[in-house]
Formats: sequence, C-alpha cells, structure tokens
Amino acid sequence: MVLHTPPRSLVDAAPAVLKIVIAGGFGAGKTTAVRAVSEITPLSTEEYLTEASVDVDSLAGLEVKETTTVAFDFGRLSLPDAPVPLELFLFGTPGQDRFVELWYDLSRGAVGAIVLVDTRRLESSFTPVSFFEDLGLPFVVAINQFDGAHRYHPEQVRTALELPVSVPVVTCDARDPNHVAGALLTLVSHAVKNASTDPAHPAPTTSLQDA
Amino acid sequence: MSAHGHAAEESTFVRTYTLTRGRTRPRYLLGLETVLDAGQGRPGPAQPEECEEIFALCRERRRSVTELAGRLRRPVTVVKVLVSDLLDVDALVVPLTHPYADTDAECGPSTQLLAALSAGLKRKWPDAIAYPQAG
Ligand SMILES: Nc1nc2c(ncn2[C@@H]2O[C@H](COP(=O)(O)OP(=O)(O)O)[C@@H](O)[C@H]2O)c(=O)[nH]1
Ligand SMILES: [Mg+2]
Repeated sequence: MVLHTPPRSLVDAAPAVLKIVIAGGFGAGKTTAVRAVSEITPLSTEEYLTEASVDVDSLAGLEVKETTTVAFDFGRLSLPDAPVPLELFLFGTPGQDRFVELWYDLSRGAVGAIVLVDTRRLESSFTPVSFFEDLGLPFVVAINQFDGAHRYHPEQVRTALELPVSVPVVTCDARDPNHVAGALLTLVSHAVKNASTDPAHPAPTTSLQDA
Repeated sequence: MSAHGHAAEESTFVRTYTLTRGRTRPRYLLGLETVLDAGQGRPGPAQPEECEEIFALCRERRRSVTELAGRLRRPVTVVKVLVSDLLDVDALVVPLTHPYADTDAECGPSTQLLAALSAGLKRKWPDAIAYPQAG
C-alpha cells in the first residue's frame, strides 16, 4: 500500500518539534520524570504491536503473528523563549524486549534518550542501553536515587553497565524539575558533541527499520 | 497471559477495529510525533464520534498523534486511521513547521536546532542542575 504524505497547511508556521525518549525498567521513575517537566499531565498512550510467535498448538509449528498492546507515556513542553520556537515531546517507555518495535518509531529523528536507572534493578537497564548503542542514538544514563537504596557512585554504574567513557552518567531525583531539566541538558550537549564529531553519525538504517 | 486476559484483549481489539471499519492501516504517513491542526473542513456525519473528538481537540490547539491517542484512550494505529479520514476531508491539516525544523529522520535534528533546544531549556529552568561532561 502506498502511504501518502499528508496535506500541509500554508498558514502560520508551527513551532519545531523535537523528541526525547525516556527509557527504563518498571518503577524506574519514567512517568515521574515526564511529569516533572511536562506542561500536561502525562498521558498513557497505547499501541498495538505485532509479535511473531510460534503457535505451539499448530502441527507444523508455523509462525503466527500475535497482536499485543503496549503503553507508553507522553508529555510535552513548549519553549517559546528559545531562539526558534520549539516544542519538546517526551516519550516514556518501558525497557522490555517486546517494546523494541516501538523504540524504533520513537527513536527515529529523536534528539536522544535518557535511560533511567534504578540501582536496585540494574539488570532492567541492559536492554535499553544496548538498543540505543546499536542504533547509534545519543543517550545518557540517569541514576534515580531512591530513598533507602544504596547510593552507588556513577562510575560504579558505568562499570556495571559496561558504558564507554563517552556516555554521560548523572544522578537525579526524577521528582525534581531542575534535576530532570539538567538530565535533558546533559543529553542535548551530548547529542551536539555526537553530531559535530561525527557528521554522518550512525543513524537508524533501512534494514533496522525493516526489522 | 491468562486465557481470560487474552480473551478480554481480543474483544477490545475487535471493538476498536469496528471504529475503523476493519482498517488496520492509515492512508497517510503519520509519525507518533506528527502534529495536527484543525482545517477548513468538518468531520462527516458518517464518521464516528471519535472523529468529532479529534477535530475538537485540534481546534483548541495543535496536537500530536500520540496526544490524540492518549486523550481518546485508543491505540495509536486506530487514531492514525481516523486522522487519515479527517485529512481527506480537510478537517485536519499538518501545519507547516519553521524552516529550521527540517529534522532529518535518519540523522536526527540539526546542530542549530539542538543549540536552540539547549538555550530554551536553560531559559525555562535557570536552576537546572548542570552536570560535568564525561568523555
Ligand atoms: N525517592 C524517589 N522516588 C521516586 C523517584 N522517581 C520516582 N519515584 C517514585 O517511584 C515510584 C515509581 O515511579 P514511576 O514514575 O511511576 O515509575 P515508572 O514505572 O518508570 O513510570 C513512584 O511512587 C514515584 O513517586 C525519585 O527520584 N526518588
Ligand atoms: Mg510509568
């Protein structure tokens, strides 16, 4: 089927839209972080994902497509005082493998991603970290310091997640807008550095989009 | 998933696609972040109530596909199908963005746009905790 480009209005130009992905395991503070800086109450949005799965009941063990629902958060903020009018969209998305199809959509054209890490469940950060690494999408790791959790040094988390030195690792309280804004700023300067050191930085390729 | 959970999910799926009269694919190339504005047209009488809702939301302000889906509590794909119908009758339009906004889907936003984002965030949160840069 041929997809058409939607008709465009020629009247007043809209602000430029930029998007940032906030990924992390269940309970890592994604919704909290989106809420901290969003101008709207974070919306929980659903999408259908088609998963290939093997129907164990079928004789031939044929591959069948199964549709499941995934939910992700949406928040937005406008930056009318920026040099160009901007709107920033934030997408909060869980870290399981079955979300990968959604991550491709979210990552396309994005500024980058913040991987929120709950040090009590470090292992849930592995999937998003390797996904963004493979895609070549700039990302930073933000350690969410929960009350009562052991405080790890960012360098300990870097070692545990096997992150290259170029990836910024910061600590934050996802409830505090200044902290979340700081993590966003860290990501933006990291993305600038990526874009300027590597003009043709590894972008999502066609083969990845088709995956 | 439990058999019951599965059945429940399936029936929601069927109900939802009744809305789009069985169509599972939108006619237009729409992203999760595609923004829509109300146009000169109107939703037709044969279109589901959800089209009126989408139109009303976009009359208030520009809304992204994701925001519309979240507010309607309908899956993104379904909303894309309905939005496509509304684009056909000019009830919705995709607003022209600032020329700077030519974000390359493959390479990400331009460095000018990133610099503008950084400046905008700093203006909005002058007390943002700045971190030393690694690397
Ligand atoms: N102490 C502390 N609690 C947090 C922080 N971020 C989130 N929480 C709490 O942790 C719980 C899970 O956060 P939530 O944002 O819902 O996680 P999500 O599953 O990643 O969306 C909530 O009760 C939050 O209030 C944080 O930075 N510090
Ligand atoms: Mg959440």
